[in-house]
Amino acid sequence: MKIPVRLRVNGENYDIVIAPYRTLLDVLREELRLTGSKKGCDAGDCGACTVLLDGKPVNSCLVLAATVQDAEILTIEGLAQKGKLHPLQQAFISEGAVQCGFCTSGVLMSLKALVDHNPTPTPEEVKIAMAGNLCRCTGYSKVFKAVAAATRQP
Amino acid sequence: MRFELLQPRSLTEALEMKRDYGEKARVLAGGTDLLVLLKDGKLKTDAVMSLRNLGELNFIREERQGVTLGALVSHNAVATSSVVRQKFPDLAEACAQVGATQIQNLGTVGGNLCNASPAADTAPPLLLMDALLTLASTRGERRIAIHDFFLGPRQTVLQADEILKEIVIPQTTGRRGATYLKLGRRQAMEIAIVGLGVAIHLNGSDRVVSECRVAMGSVAPTVVRARGAEAILRDREITSELVDEVAAVAAEAARPISDVRASAQYRLDMIRVLCRQATHAALARAREKKAEGLS
Repeated sequence: MKIPVRLRVNGENYDIVIAPYRTLLDVLREELRLTGSKKGCDAGDCGACTVLLDGKPVNSCLVLAATVQDAEILTIEGLAQKGKLHPLQQAFISEGAVQCGFCTSGVLMSLKALVDHNPTPTPEEVKIAMAGNLCRCTGYSKVFKAVAAATRQP
Repeated sequence: MRFELLQPRSLTEALEMKRDYGEKARVLAGGTDLLVLLKDGKLKTDAVMSLRNLGELNFIREERQGVTLGALVSHNAVATSSVVRQKFPDLAEACAQVGATQIQNLGTVGGNLCNASPAADTAPPLLLMDALLTLASTRGERRIAIHDFFLGPRQTVLQADEILKEIVIPQTTGRRGATYLKLGRRQAMEIAIVGLGVAIHLNGSDRVVSECRVAMGSVAPTVVRARGAEAILRDREITSELVDEVAAVAAEAARPISDVRASAQYRLDMIRVLCRQATHAALARAREKKAEGLS
């Protein structure tokens, strides 16, 4: 039996009717058509589905959509503000920190959560923050360079 | 993966639902284990009861008799809690090594215990602390020692109508130093090959150990204390020969299996290595505590 659910995603309310066992990832992609969050392993291992739940990165494949109706959800689609890219997104472009791109949205969400409360992270802190995001192209070093560029003290 | 979703708004309501549904309802805390099992088809259930709305079980409370954790407190909240980091660094270290950030934000200490994996990272530190667990049902509450909670892999003493409510960590005596070491092939997103915690208690002297405790995960059907090893250091002046003996005897308390992560023999060898390292590290931390600051 489907149930009515209200989700607050990227500052907008969405009223939908869904089966109670559907994950947040599936609902974001298939009901809200926000396909920036990716499905890699669907088991909490790869981090491609990372979104922010009340500001904290979580695997959206391990969250039931119907259980987070009280939360603010931020996906990669909400990262740019008023048409302006987030400094991390801009740095990913200038440093070429993207290979196939499948992990990129999840990586950016993990890093966004990091710099929100730690604007000048050390390389070690960056590694810990994205330890749950796998890049199968193994393109990590340019990601680290991009974070350094985006968070460098003027 | 298909089921009815129950979303109680309070513990009282949750206990009534659990009484009515019994084994037909699985409890969902963080979901990092349960949803994976359900998706894989390794587990089937008629209903899932999400405890996400039970804010009353999401707390860390410092009291005169110790520290109490609500069952729904996340690994991240424990790992970053100043109270836990200061008093129980071994538990903070364990929570900081569960999966990675995303899992630590979802996963809960209560869920980690109720899932009853022999590799549960939070269990060895809580075993070191002789933690008590409050189990609640509509029949009332009972408090049991964590040593009596686990029956085997994925098996606990929780009855069909019961929910783990809180974890009580008693106040420690003396200068306590402790650490939890986790061996994996990388530093994150791992299930422990061996997880091992050591707590050392000192009184006045920096050399004489008043109490030593060793707890191990992933080396037996449940997490275990190595009580034979602990007795070696009690009221003794510490030497590196004695620490080697503690490590050797700790390995004797293990009953590891060979699996996809490691052979039984490798696990036994690594217990000796980790136990030595953890004992020295715990001792160093105990010595840092000032003799007058007996908490």
